[in-house]
Amino acid sequence: MTTGSKIAAVALAMLVALLAAVPWLVSDYGLGFMVNLMCYLVLTIAWTLFSGTTRYVSLATAAFFGLGAYTVAMLVKEMPIYATFGIALVLGTVMALLVGLVTLRISGMFFVVFGFGLSELIREVLIWWEINQTKTLGRYVFVPFDTTLIYWHLLGLAVLVFLVGWLLRRTRLGIALLVIGDDETMARQAGINVPLAKVAIFVVSSVFMTVVGAVMAPRFGYLTPNFAFNPLISFQVVIMALLGGMQRLWGPVLGVVPLMLLSELLQVRFPFWYSVFLGLVFMIIVYFLPRGITGLVEDAWRVLCRPISLPRGVTGPLIDVWGSLSRPISLPRGIAGIIEDTWARLVRRQPTGGR
Amino acid sequence: MVALLEVDGLTKAFGGLVAVNDMSLSVSPGEVLGLIGPNGSGKTTLLNLIAGTIRSDAGTIRIGGEDVTRLPNHLRVRKRINRTFQLVRMPPNLPAIVGVMAGVMYGAEPKRYKDAEYEAAGILGELNLLLKAGYRLDQLTYIEQKRVELARALATRPRVLLLDEWLSGLSPGELDGGMSVVWSLAAQGIAVILVEHVMTAVRALCSRVVVMNAGVKIAEGPPGEVLRDAEVIRAYLGDDDA
Repeated sequence: MTTGSKIAAVALAMLVALLAAVPWLVSDYGLGFMVNLMCYLVLTIAWTLFSGTTRYVSLATAAFFGLGAYTVAMLVKEMPIYATFGIALVLGTVMALLVGLVTLRISGMFFVVFGFGLSELIREVLIWWEINQTKTLGRYVFVPFDTTLIYWHLLGLAVLVFLVGWLLRRTRLGIALLVIGDDETMARQAGINVPLAKVAIFVVSSVFMTVVGAVMAPRFGYLTPNFAFNPLISFQVVIMALLGGMQRLWGPVLGVVPLMLLSELLQVRFPFWYSVFLGLVFMIIVYFLPRGITGLVEDAWRVLCRPISLPRGVTGPLIDVWGSLSRPISLPRGIAGIIEDTWARLVRRQPTGGR
Repeated sequence: MVALLEVDGLTKAFGGLVAVNDMSLSVSPGEVLGLIGPNGSGKTTLLNLIAGTIRSDAGTIRIGGEDVTRLPNHLRVRKRINRTFQLVRMPPNLPAIVGVMAGVMYGAEPKRYKDAEYEAAGILGELNLLLKAGYRLDQLTYIEQKRVELARALATRPRVLLLDEWLSGLSPGELDGGMSVVWSLAAQGIAVILVEHVMTAVRALCSRVVVMNAGVKIAEGPPGEVLRDAEVIRAYLGDDDA
């Protein structure tokens, strides 16, 4: 271990300890917010594990989240809560395997629609079942599993998903996923079993989503299929991942935190503006995404990005300041990209030539 | 010598177009077999069939006596058949070494991450590319791109190597270097099939040449004889009265 990685490990351990102490530090309202934050953090990182590497846009998040939550809601009266978590985990694995084996041969757009459709299908079937068979609209989840416990479980999941993502990069599967994301034909020619690798990471990612749903179930108290399989979950996760940037493991953090803060702020003051805002963010992200947009727009963007010529009266050290202010910032890499660029500028500042 | 790769009666049709029709050939270890023919004669399709990039309609492919006709692409790689592509295929956004490492980790002799790193660096070194290991594909010159792709193919430890116009588009100096690379591969006992339009290279490297036209084999033999063959000349240049 180098000194740098030791410091990083200690700092991370302290951060986790601090986060674990949050229930004693904040109010009930604050803890509720932290639970939502952790929930979306795990969901987004799990989403990035699969979608960031394979470049499949998955809208099946709500399907797995809902599966976990509703499994707990249906079984919690019959057995201890950890047993329901276990069953949710098994169900999530099985569903992810089935979905993965069936759909990962489907390309791009069709996969997106399938994920969305799957979540809606399960929701409708459950509504039909509850109305016609059990004559209810939803389920009460009353268990001695309070918000603090939920928070700690989610924190544990967050640490776990980070570890998985971090360890993955140094394994055979991690390298395979990197290569598959870039060039599938070449991946096959390197001897990689492409469908197997995709299914494997899809299962890992989906299981995390399912367990998050399961852990969140007691938090809601009362669950309907409409609530558990809310498509907004899927969309929010995509937007958070894209905003944060998917090329770094910690990228999603930078997407989750600001959007959760904003959602909290807007939902309290202006409940109807949140969706509008989310839509706007989504449009901005899609607009600046490197691919999926015509070369014409890309060229226009490059022209827009060109540093503005030096205004009169700027001399001496100010030139450097102006240079760093007017340097283009690449949005496609998300906030993680902006921070990296800024950091690179601070750490090794090189004089800009020709000015 | 006993043939390493035996292709027998291989056929592939795209709709009504029979791209490869009843092709048979064999290569021995250390041999460089030239595969030539006019554009559209089915050379690349035949290569795709042997590598497993596409499936054949009929016929068999054997390597070392083992039938691999039904195996998918990635399993044929593990049976030690590998190829390069006419248009270089390497991950465009990753450092060159990552693609090579993938080959080492998933090839015929799979390695763990750390060992794969060393071995990939070694293979790149043999091809004079060690200093380019961290470069992305678009930061490399054309010849370097071709060499990186060869490194990826070699990383899987192939016994049969299919080179699809690997020597095309090179300057005379680069061609000499490329030809010596192919020589050294054959000297290591790899069976090479060379699809090529550069006749200097074919004459210099190949002990035997197979000529294809419209999906069928029209001639086979030493390059000197075959290139004088009347039917071959007709395939390339057309009939006298045309």
